[in-house]
Amino acid sequence: MATPSGRRMACLHRASPAVEEILLELHSKAKPMEVDHNIYEAGSVRYHIKGSASEAQELYLSITIPSLSPEVLPVKDLQHNTLQTIRKAYSSVAEIVEPPREGFQLTLRLDFRKFPPRKDDCSKLIAEIASLQGVILSSQLKDIIWNLGSQVPVEGMYRPIKLIYHPREPFFVIRMTEKIIAIFPMRFKDDSDVILATAFFQELMDVGSSTTWAKAPFCSWSPIPPPELRGEPFHDLSTNAGFVSFEILSWHVEGAKLDKTVWCLLNFPAYVKYHIKCTRGFIQRRMRRRLERLAEVMQKAKEDEDGYITRQEEKTRKIGM
Amino acid sequence: MAYTLRLYLTCIRNTLEAAMCLQNFPCQEVERHNKPEVELKTSSELLLNPILICRNEAEKCLIETSINSLRISIKVKQADELENILTKKFLRFLSMRAEAFQVLRRKPVQGYDISFLVTNYHCEEMHKHKLIDFIVQFMEDIDKEISELKMSVNTRGRLVATEFLKQFI
Repeated sequence: MATPSGRRMACLHRASPAVEEILLELHSKAKPMEVDHNIYEAGSVRYHIKGSASEAQELYLSITIPSLSPEVLPVKDLQHNTLQTIRKAYSSVAEIVEPPREGFQLTLRLDFRKFPPRKDDCSKLIAEIASLQGVILSSQLKDIIWNLGSQVPVEGMYRPIKLIYHPREPFFVIRMTEKIIAIFPMRFKDDSDVILATAFFQELMDVGSSTTWAKAPFCSWSPIPPPELRGEPFHDLSTNAGFVSFEILSWHVEGAKLDKTVWCLLNFPAYVKYHIKCTRGFIQRRMRRRLERLAEVMQKAKEDEDGYITRQEEKTRKIGM
Repeated sequence: MAYTLRLYLTCIRNTLEAAMCLQNFPCQEVERHNKPEVELKTSSELLLNPILICRNEAEKCLIETSINSLRISIKVKQADELENILTKKFLRFLSMRAEAFQVLRRKPVQGYDISFLVTNYHCEEMHKHKLIDFIVQFMEDIDKEISELKMSVNTRGRLVATEFLKQFI
Protein backbone atom coordinates (compact mmCIF):
# COMPACT_ATOMS: atom_id res chain seq x y z
CA MET A 1 0.00 0.00 0.00
CA ALA A 2 1.67 3.21 -1.07
CA THR A 3 1.28 6.69 0.39
CA PRO A 4 0.52 9.63 -1.95
CA SER A 5 4.24 10.39 -2.07
CA GLY A 6 4.80 6.92 -3.51
CA ARG A 7 6.63 5.49 -0.47
CA ARG A 8 5.26 2.64 1.57
CA MET A 9 4.00 3.32 5.04
CA ALA A 10 6.88 3.01 7.52
CA CYS A 11 5.49 0.04 9.44
CA LEU A 12 4.86 -1.96 6.23
CA HIS A 13 8.30 -1.22 4.84
CA ARG A 14 10.64 -4.17 5.40
CA ALA A 15 13.72 -2.02 5.81
CA SER A 16 13.81 0.11 8.94
CA PRO A 17 13.52 3.70 7.64
CA ALA A 18 15.63 5.17 10.47
CA VAL A 19 18.46 2.64 10.14
CA GLU A 20 18.43 2.99 6.36
CA GLU A 21 18.66 6.79 6.55
CA ILE A 22 21.51 6.76 9.10
CA LEU A 23 23.54 4.18 7.14
CA LEU A 24 23.07 6.10 3.89
CA GLU A 25 24.16 9.33 5.57
CA LEU A 26 27.21 7.75 7.21
CA HIS A 27 28.27 6.03 4.01
CA SER A 28 27.99 9.22 1.97
CA LYS A 29 30.02 11.24 4.52
CA ALA A 30 33.64 11.62 3.44
CA LYS A 31 34.84 12.75 6.85
CA PRO A 32 35.03 10.14 9.66
CA MET A 33 32.87 10.94 12.67
CA GLU A 34 31.72 9.58 16.02
CA VAL A 35 28.17 8.13 15.97
CA ASP A 36 26.14 6.58 18.73
CA HIS A 37 22.47 6.15 17.88
CA ASN A 38 19.83 4.29 19.87
CA ILE A 39 16.65 3.62 17.89
CA TYR A 40 13.38 2.14 19.11
CA GLU A 41 10.86 0.88 16.58
CA ALA A 42 7.27 -0.27 17.14
CA GLY A 43 7.92 -0.08 20.89
CA SER A 44 9.83 -3.36 21.07
CA VAL A 45 12.59 -3.43 18.44
CA ARG A 46 15.83 -1.71 19.50
CA TYR A 47 18.77 -0.82 17.30
CA HIS A 48 22.13 0.62 18.25
CA ILE A 49 24.51 2.09 15.69
CA LYS A 50 28.05 2.86 16.82
CA GLY A 51 30.93 4.22 14.82
CA SER A 52 34.16 5.89 15.81
CA ALA A 53 36.34 8.48 14.12
CA SER A 54 39.42 6.25 14.47
CA GLU A 55 37.79 3.31 12.64
CA ALA A 56 36.09 5.32 9.92
CA GLN A 57 35.39 2.37 7.63
CA GLU A 58 33.74 0.21 10.28
CA LEU A 59 30.36 0.51 11.90
CA TYR A 60 28.66 -1.62 14.55
CA LEU A 61 24.95 -2.34 14.15
CA SER A 62 23.25 -4.09 17.09
CA ILE A 63 19.66 -5.28 17.31
CA THR A 64 17.36 -6.81 19.87
CA ILE A 65 13.83 -7.99 19.12
CA PRO A 66 11.32 -9.84 21.29
CA SER A 67 10.72 -13.49 20.55
CA LEU A 68 7.95 -14.24 18.06
CA SER A 69 6.67 -17.02 20.25
CA PRO A 70 7.69 -16.86 23.93
CA GLU A 71 6.11 -20.31 24.46
CA VAL A 72 8.14 -22.10 21.78
CA LEU A 73 11.21 -19.85 21.73
CA PRO A 74 11.69 -18.59 25.29
CA VAL A 75 15.46 -18.03 25.04
CA LYS A 76 16.67 -14.48 24.61
CA ASP A 77 19.63 -15.29 22.35
CA LEU A 78 19.21 -15.93 18.65
CA GLN A 79 19.06 -19.56 17.51
CA HIS A 80 21.92 -21.16 15.64
CA ASN A 81 19.83 -21.38 12.43
CA THR A 82 19.00 -17.68 12.58
CA LEU A 83 22.68 -16.77 13.00
CA GLN A 84 23.54 -18.97 10.03
CA THR A 85 20.91 -17.21 7.88
CA ILE A 86 22.27 -13.80 8.87
CA ARG A 87 25.84 -14.89 8.14
CA LYS A 88 24.73 -16.11 4.72
CA ALA A 89 22.74 -12.97 3.95
CA TYR A 90 25.43 -10.41 4.89
CA SER A 91 28.66 -12.35 4.47
CA SER A 92 29.96 -10.03 1.77
CA VAL A 93 29.86 -6.82 3.83
CA ALA A 94 29.41 -7.72 7.47
CA GLU A 95 30.42 -10.18 10.12
CA ILE A 96 28.81 -11.22 13.38
CA VAL A 97 30.60 -9.94 16.48
CA GLU A 98 30.88 -12.45 19.34
CA PRO A 99 29.74 -11.77 21.99
CA PRO A 100 27.13 -9.17 20.95
CA ARG A 101 26.98 -5.75 22.61
CA GLU A 102 25.50 -5.91 26.11
CA GLY A 103 21.70 -5.77 26.09
CA PHE A 104 21.45 -6.80 22.41
CA GLN A 105 20.92 -10.13 20.70
CA LEU A 106 23.13 -9.52 17.71
CA THR A 107 25.94 -7.16 16.70
CA LEU A 108 27.13 -6.84 13.13
CA ARG A 109 30.39 -5.22 12.11
CA LEU A 110 29.81 -3.47 8.78
CA ASP A 111 32.80 -2.81 6.60
CA PHE A 112 32.27 0.18 4.30
CA ARG A 113 35.34 -0.81 2.24
CA LYS A 114 33.42 -3.85 0.98
CA PHE A 115 30.38 -1.80 -0.11
CA PRO A 116 29.84 -1.58 -3.89
CA PRO A 117 31.15 1.64 -5.49
CA ARG A 118 27.98 2.34 -7.53
CA LYS A 119 25.46 4.46 -5.66
CA ASP A 120 22.40 2.41 -6.71
CA ASP A 121 23.96 -0.90 -5.68
CA CYS A 122 25.07 0.64 -2.42
CA SER A 123 21.55 1.95 -1.63
CA LYS A 124 20.15 -1.48 -2.38
CA LEU A 125 22.65 -3.12 -0.05
CA ILE A 126 21.93 -0.62 2.73
CA ALA A 127 18.19 -1.34 2.36
CA GLU A 128 18.99 -5.03 2.75
CA ILE A 129 21.03 -4.35 5.90
CA ALA A 130 18.20 -2.21 7.27
CA SER A 131 15.90 -5.23 6.72
CA LEU A 132 17.80 -7.16 9.39
CA GLN A 133 14.67 -7.43 11.54
CA GLY A 134 12.76 -9.03 8.64
CA VAL A 135 15.58 -11.56 8.08
CA ILE A 136 15.62 -12.53 11.77
CA LEU A 137 11.82 -12.82 11.93
CA SER A 138 11.46 -14.99 8.84
CA SER A 139 14.26 -17.24 10.02
CA GLN A 140 12.70 -17.49 13.49
CA LEU A 141 9.29 -18.27 12.05
CA LYS A 142 10.75 -20.95 9.78
CA ASP A 143 12.50 -22.43 12.81
CA ILE A 144 9.37 -22.33 14.95
CA ILE A 145 7.18 -23.99 12.34
CA TRP A 146 9.48 -26.69 11.04
CA ASN A 147 11.76 -27.50 13.96
CA LEU A 148 10.75 -26.22 17.38
CA GLY A 149 6.96 -26.28 17.21
CA SER A 150 6.75 -29.66 15.52
CA GLN A 151 5.32 -32.27 17.79
CA VAL A 152 3.39 -35.40 17.03
CA PRO A 153 0.56 -34.44 14.67
CA VAL A 154 -2.99 -35.23 15.71
CA GLU A 155 -5.19 -36.21 12.73
CA GLY A 156 -2.69 -34.64 10.31
CA MET A 157 -2.63 -31.35 12.20
CA TYR A 158 -0.06 -29.92 14.60
CA ARG A 159 -0.91 -27.85 17.66
CA PRO A 160 -1.53 -24.12 16.87
CA ILE A 161 1.49 -21.93 17.65
CA LYS A 162 0.70 -18.50 19.05
CA LEU A 163 2.90 -15.78 17.56
CA ILE A 164 3.24 -12.28 18.94
CA TYR A 165 4.62 -9.71 16.53
CA HIS A 166 2.55 -6.71 17.59
CA PRO A 167 2.16 -6.98 21.40
CA ARG A 168 -1.65 -6.68 21.43
CA GLU A 169 -2.29 -8.62 18.24
CA PRO A 170 -1.27 -12.26 18.56
CA PHE A 171 -2.04 -14.65 15.73
CA PHE A 172 -1.83 -18.39 15.21
CA VAL A 173 0.08 -20.59 12.80
CA ILE A 174 -0.91 -24.19 12.31
CA ARG A 175 1.24 -26.63 10.42
CA MET A 176 -0.66 -29.27 8.48
CA THR A 177 0.60 -32.03 6.24
CA GLU A 178 0.39 -30.05 2.98
CA LYS A 179 -0.05 -26.49 4.08
CA ILE A 180 0.27 -23.94 6.85
CA ILE A 181 -2.74 -22.02 8.12
CA ALA A 182 -2.26 -18.54 9.56
CA ILE A 183 -5.26 -17.35 11.60
CA PHE A 184 -5.59 -13.71 12.66
CA PRO A 185 -8.09 -12.84 15.40
CA MET A 186 -9.07 -9.27 14.46
CA ARG A 187 -9.87 -6.66 17.09
CA PHE A 188 -10.71 -2.97 16.67
CA LYS A 189 -11.43 -0.25 19.19
CA ASP A 190 -14.07 1.58 17.18
CA ASP A 191 -17.35 0.01 16.03
CA SER A 192 -17.21 1.79 12.68
CA ASP A 193 -13.73 0.31 12.11
CA VAL A 194 -15.19 -3.15 12.63
CA ILE A 195 -17.71 -2.56 9.83
CA LEU A 196 -15.10 -1.12 7.45
CA ALA A 197 -12.80 -4.05 8.24
CA THR A 198 -15.60 -6.57 7.69
CA ALA A 199 -16.33 -5.02 4.28
CA PHE A 200 -12.61 -5.32 3.47
CA PHE A 201 -12.47 -8.97 4.56
CA GLN A 202 -15.45 -9.76 2.29
CA GLU A 203 -13.58 -8.18 -0.61
CA LEU A 204 -10.42 -10.09 0.34
CA MET A 205 -12.38 -13.35 0.27
CA ASP A 206 -14.00 -12.48 -3.07
CA VAL A 207 -10.69 -11.53 -4.68
CA GLY A 208 -8.89 -14.55 -3.21
CA SER A 209 -11.49 -16.99 -4.49
CA SER A 210 -11.49 -15.59 -8.05
CA THR A 211 -9.70 -17.61 -10.75
CA THR A 212 -7.31 -14.70 -11.51
CA TRP A 213 -5.82 -15.07 -8.03
CA ALA A 214 -5.83 -18.86 -7.89
CA LYS A 215 -2.12 -18.87 -6.94
CA ALA A 216 -2.63 -16.48 -4.03
CA PRO A 217 -3.23 -18.03 -0.59
CA PHE A 218 -6.84 -19.03 -0.05
CA CYS A 219 -8.37 -16.55 2.34
CA SER A 220 -11.44 -16.97 4.52
CA TRP A 221 -13.19 -14.86 7.13
CA SER A 222 -15.42 -16.14 9.88
CA PRO A 223 -17.11 -14.29 12.75
CA ILE A 224 -16.57 -17.30 15.02
CA PRO A 225 -13.27 -19.06 15.85
CA PRO A 226 -12.30 -21.63 13.20
CA PRO A 227 -12.25 -25.29 14.34
CA GLU A 228 -8.42 -25.35 14.19
CA LEU A 229 -8.31 -23.07 17.25
CA ARG A 230 -10.48 -25.32 19.40
CA GLY A 231 -9.01 -25.55 22.89
CA GLU A 232 -7.13 -22.23 22.80
CA PRO A 233 -7.57 -19.82 25.75
CA PHE A 234 -10.78 -17.81 25.70
CA HIS A 235 -9.06 -14.39 25.84
CA ASP A 236 -7.21 -15.19 22.62
CA LEU A 237 -10.44 -16.05 20.85
CA SER A 238 -12.55 -13.08 21.94
CA THR A 239 -12.68 -10.68 18.99
CA ASN A 240 -15.08 -8.11 17.59
CA ALA A 241 -14.17 -8.46 13.90
CA GLY A 242 -13.89 -12.24 13.54
CA PHE A 243 -11.03 -14.37 12.27
CA VAL A 244 -9.15 -14.14 8.98
CA SER A 245 -7.36 -17.28 7.80
CA PHE A 246 -4.78 -17.72 5.05
CA GLU A 247 -3.78 -21.08 3.66
CA ILE A 248 -0.09 -20.99 2.79
CA LEU A 249 0.96 -23.64 0.33
CA SER A 250 4.45 -24.86 -0.55
CA TRP A 251 4.94 -22.47 -3.51
CA HIS A 252 4.31 -19.45 -1.27
CA VAL A 253 7.40 -20.25 0.82
CA GLU A 254 9.75 -21.47 -1.90
CA GLY A 255 13.20 -19.84 -1.82
CA ALA A 256 13.15 -16.04 -1.79
CA LYS A 257 9.35 -15.97 -1.52
CA LEU A 258 9.56 -17.10 2.10
CA ASP A 259 10.82 -13.75 3.41
CA LYS A 260 8.12 -11.83 1.55
CA THR A 261 5.34 -14.20 2.65
CA VAL A 262 6.46 -14.02 6.29
CA TRP A 263 6.67 -10.23 6.18
CA CYS A 264 3.20 -9.94 4.57
CA LEU A 265 1.66 -12.24 7.18
CA LEU A 266 3.36 -10.51 10.13
CA ASN A 267 2.14 -7.15 8.93
CA PHE A 268 -1.38 -8.17 7.95
CA PRO A 269 -3.06 -6.51 10.99
CA ALA A 270 -1.05 -3.32 10.36
CA TYR A 271 -2.03 -3.45 6.69
CA VAL A 272 -5.74 -3.71 7.56
CA LYS A 273 -5.47 -0.89 10.10
CA TYR A 274 -3.71 1.32 7.59
CA HIS A 275 -6.43 0.62 5.02
CA ILE A 276 -9.12 1.55 7.55
CA LYS A 277 -7.31 4.75 8.46
CA CYS A 278 -7.05 5.71 4.79
CA THR A 279 -10.71 4.83 4.19
CA ARG A 280 -11.76 7.07 7.07
CA GLY A 281 -9.72 9.90 5.58
CA PHE A 282 -11.29 9.27 2.19
CA ILE A 283 -14.82 9.37 3.65
CA GLN A 284 -13.99 12.62 5.45
CA ARG A 285 -12.72 14.23 2.22
CA ARG A 286 -15.85 13.16 0.32
CA MET A 287 -18.12 14.51 3.05
CA ARG A 288 -16.28 17.84 3.07
CA ARG A 289 -16.72 18.15 -0.70
CA ARG A 290 -20.42 17.37 -0.49
CA LEU A 291 -20.84 19.89 2.35
CA GLU A 292 -19.37 22.60 0.13
CA ARG A 293 -21.80 21.72 -2.68
CA LEU A 294 -24.79 21.75 -0.36
CA ALA A 295 -23.68 25.05 1.17
CA GLU A 296 -23.60 26.52 -2.35
CA VAL A 297 -27.24 25.51 -2.90
CA MET A 298 -28.12 27.16 0.42
CA GLN A 299 -26.26 30.29 -0.63
CA LYS A 300 -28.33 30.42 -3.82
CA ALA A 301 -31.50 30.46 -1.73
CA LYS A 302 -30.25 33.66 -0.09
CA GLU A 303 -29.33 35.40 -3.33
CA ASP A 304 -31.84 37.54 -5.15
CA GLU A 305 -33.07 36.65 -8.64
CA ASP A 306 -30.94 39.32 -10.29
CA GLY A 307 -28.30 39.89 -7.62
CA TYR A 308 -27.27 38.75 -4.20
CA ILE A 309 -28.85 41.26 -1.83
CA THR A 310 -31.42 39.63 0.40
CA ARG A 311 -34.53 41.42 1.64
CA GLN A 312 -33.21 41.45 5.18
CA GLU A 313 -29.94 43.01 4.05
CA GLU A 314 -31.93 45.59 2.08
CA LYS A 315 -33.91 46.48 5.22
CA THR A 316 -30.71 46.82 7.24
CA ARG A 317 -29.26 49.05 4.56
CA LYS A 318 -32.38 51.31 4.59
CA ILE A 319 -32.25 51.63 8.37
CA GLY A 320 -28.58 52.49 8.13
CA MET A 321 -29.33 55.30 5.67
CA MET B 1 -33.53 9.16 -10.58
CA ALA B 2 -35.73 6.19 -9.70
CA TYR B 3 -39.43 6.66 -10.39
CA THR B 4 -40.41 5.96 -6.78
CA LEU B 5 -37.82 8.42 -5.50
CA ARG B 6 -39.10 11.11 -7.88
CA LEU B 7 -42.66 10.57 -6.63
CA TYR B 8 -41.48 10.69 -3.02
CA LEU B 9 -39.56 13.92 -3.53
CA THR B 10 -42.37 15.54 -5.54
CA CYS B 11 -44.79 14.73 -2.74
CA ILE B 12 -42.44 16.33 -0.20
CA ARG B 13 -41.94 19.37 -2.43
CA ASN B 14 -45.69 19.89 -2.86
CA THR B 15 -46.31 19.47 0.85
CA LEU B 16 -43.56 21.94 1.71
CA GLU B 17 -44.93 24.48 -0.77
CA ALA B 18 -48.31 24.26 0.92
CA ALA B 19 -46.92 24.23 4.46
CA MET B 20 -44.38 27.01 4.12
CA CYS B 21 -46.75 29.93 4.66
CA LEU B 22 -45.24 31.24 7.85
CA GLN B 23 -45.79 34.58 9.55
CA ASN B 24 -44.34 36.45 12.46
CA PHE B 25 -46.12 35.48 15.67
CA PRO B 26 -45.00 36.57 19.16
CA CYS B 27 -44.94 34.04 21.95
CA GLN B 28 -48.25 33.85 23.87
CA GLU B 29 -46.60 32.71 27.08
CA VAL B 30 -43.67 35.07 27.46
CA GLU B 31 -43.94 38.77 26.68
CA ARG B 32 -41.53 40.25 24.10
CA HIS B 33 -40.39 36.78 23.09
CA ASN B 34 -40.69 35.20 19.67
CA LYS B 35 -40.15 31.47 19.63
CA PRO B 36 -40.72 28.70 17.06
CA GLU B 37 -44.08 27.29 18.08
CA VAL B 38 -43.37 23.93 16.44
CA GLU B 39 -40.58 23.39 18.97
CA LEU B 40 -42.39 24.69 22.08
CA LYS B 41 -45.85 23.31 21.27
CA THR B 42 -47.40 25.46 24.04
CA SER B 43 -50.59 26.45 22.19
CA SER B 44 -52.38 23.76 20.23
CA GLU B 45 -54.31 26.35 18.18
CA LEU B 46 -51.01 27.47 16.61
CA LEU B 47 -50.09 23.97 15.40
CA LEU B 48 -51.24 22.15 12.28
CA ASN B 49 -51.52 18.42 11.90
CA PRO B 50 -48.13 16.83 11.20
CA ILE B 51 -47.76 15.09 7.86
CA LEU B 52 -45.81 11.87 7.48
CA ILE B 53 -44.66 10.94 3.99
CA CYS B 54 -43.21 7.44 3.64
CA ARG B 55 -41.42 5.96 0.66
CA ASN B 56 -41.08 2.67 2.49
CA GLU B 57 -40.56 1.48 6.07
CA ALA B 58 -36.97 2.71 6.17
CA GLU B 59 -37.39 6.04 4.38
CA LYS B 60 -39.80 8.65 5.64
CA CYS B 61 -40.21 12.38 6.14
CA LEU B 62 -42.18 14.10 8.89
CA ILE B 63 -43.36 17.67 8.27
CA GLU B 64 -44.62 19.49 11.36
CA THR B 65 -46.08 22.94 10.84
CA SER B 66 -47.00 25.80 13.12
CA ILE B 67 -47.90 29.44 12.60
CA ASN B 68 -44.32 30.74 12.62
CA SER B 69 -42.14 27.69 12.04
CA LEU B 70 -41.84 24.43 10.21
CA ARG B 71 -39.89 21.33 11.19
CA ILE B 72 -38.85 18.74 8.63
CA SER B 73 -37.40 15.47 9.89
CA ILE B 74 -35.94 12.89 7.55
CA LYS B 75 -35.17 9.20 7.99
CA VAL B 76 -32.62 7.97 5.47
CA LYS B 77 -32.53 4.44 4.07
CA GLN B 78 -29.85 2.20 5.64
CA ALA B 79 -29.85 -1.17 3.96
CA ASP B 80 -26.84 -2.69 5.76
CA GLU B 81 -24.27 -1.97 8.46
CA LEU B 82 -21.93 -0.16 6.10
CA GLU B 83 -24.72 2.17 4.91
CA ASN B 84 -25.69 2.65 8.54
CA ILE B 85 -22.26 3.90 9.64
CA LEU B 86 -21.80 5.97 6.49
CA THR B 87 -25.18 7.66 7.04
CA LYS B 88 -24.41 8.25 10.71
CA LYS B 89 -20.96 9.66 9.93
CA PHE B 90 -22.23 11.91 7.16
CA LEU B 91 -25.24 13.29 9.00
CA ARG B 92 -23.19 13.87 12.14
CA PHE B 93 -20.62 15.68 10.04
CA LEU B 94 -23.36 17.93 8.60
CA SER B 95 -25.06 18.51 11.98
CA MET B 96 -21.74 19.64 13.45
CA ARG B 97 -21.50 22.22 10.68
CA ALA B 98 -25.17 23.28 10.93
CA GLU B 99 -24.22 26.98 10.87
CA ALA B 100 -23.37 26.57 7.15
CA PHE B 101 -27.03 25.80 6.42
CA GLN B 102 -28.91 27.97 8.95
CA VAL B 103 -32.03 25.83 8.76
CA LEU B 104 -30.35 22.60 9.88
CA ARG B 105 -31.11 21.45 13.42
CA ARG B 106 -28.08 20.33 15.42
CA LYS B 107 -29.99 17.42 16.92
CA PRO B 108 -32.50 15.38 14.93
CA VAL B 109 -36.01 14.65 16.22
CA GLN B 110 -36.14 11.26 17.94
CA GLY B 111 -36.63 8.43 15.45
CA TYR B 112 -35.20 10.43 12.53
CA ASP B 113 -31.68 10.94 11.17
CA ILE B 114 -31.70 14.66 10.44
CA SER B 115 -34.07 17.60 11.07
CA PHE B 116 -34.50 21.09 9.67
CA LEU B 117 -36.16 24.00 11.42
CA VAL B 118 -37.47 26.76 9.15
CA THR B 119 -38.84 29.89 10.82
CA ASN B 120 -40.66 32.88 9.37
CA TYR B 121 -37.36 34.82 9.53
CA HIS B 122 -35.73 32.30 7.19
CA CYS B 123 -38.65 32.73 4.78
CA GLU B 124 -38.16 36.50 4.90
CA GLU B 125 -34.43 36.25 4.30
CA MET B 126 -34.51 33.61 1.59
CA HIS B 127 -36.57 32.76 -1.41
CA LYS B 128 -39.21 30.24 -0.42
CA HIS B 129 -38.94 28.18 -3.61
CA LYS B 130 -35.15 28.06 -3.36
CA LEU B 131 -35.35 27.00 0.27
CA ILE B 132 -37.61 24.14 -0.80
CA ASP B 133 -35.18 23.37 -3.63
CA PHE B 134 -32.42 23.14 -1.05
CA ILE B 135 -34.30 20.68 1.16
CA VAL B 136 -35.26 18.47 -1.78
CA GLN B 137 -31.73 18.64 -3.20
CA PHE B 138 -30.37 17.79 0.26
CA MET B 139 -32.50 14.65 0.41
CA GLU B 140 -31.49 13.67 -3.09
CA ASP B 141 -27.80 14.30 -2.38
CA ILE B 142 -27.78 12.32 0.85
CA ASP B 143 -29.09 9.23 -0.94
CA LYS B 144 -26.64 9.69 -3.78
CA GLU B 145 -23.69 10.36 -1.49
CA ILE B 146 -24.34 7.31 0.68
CA SER B 147 -24.65 5.01 -2.35
CA GLU B 148 -21.50 6.46 -3.93
CA LEU B 149 -19.56 6.28 -0.67
CA LYS B 150 -20.54 2.65 -0.18
CA MET B 151 -19.47 1.80 -3.70
CA SER B 152 -16.17 3.67 -3.30
CA VAL B 153 -15.39 2.01 0.03
CA ASN B 154 -16.00 -1.42 -1.50
CA THR B 155 -13.96 -0.58 -4.61
CA ARG B 156 -11.07 0.67 -2.47
CA GLY B 157 -11.32 -2.50 -0.37
CA ARG B 158 -11.14 -4.65 -3.50
CA LEU B 159 -8.09 -2.77 -4.81
CA VAL B 160 -6.30 -3.01 -1.45
CA ALA B 161 -7.15 -6.72 -1.21
CA THR B 162 -5.77 -7.27 -4.72
CA GLU B 163 -2.55 -5.42 -3.82
CA PHE B 164 -2.17 -7.55 -0.70
CA LEU B 165 -2.67 -10.87 -2.46
CA LYS B 166 -0.39 -9.78 -5.32
CA GLN B 167 2.55 -9.85 -2.89
CA PHE B 168 2.27 -13.64 -2.52
CA ILE B 169 2.56 -14.35 -6.26
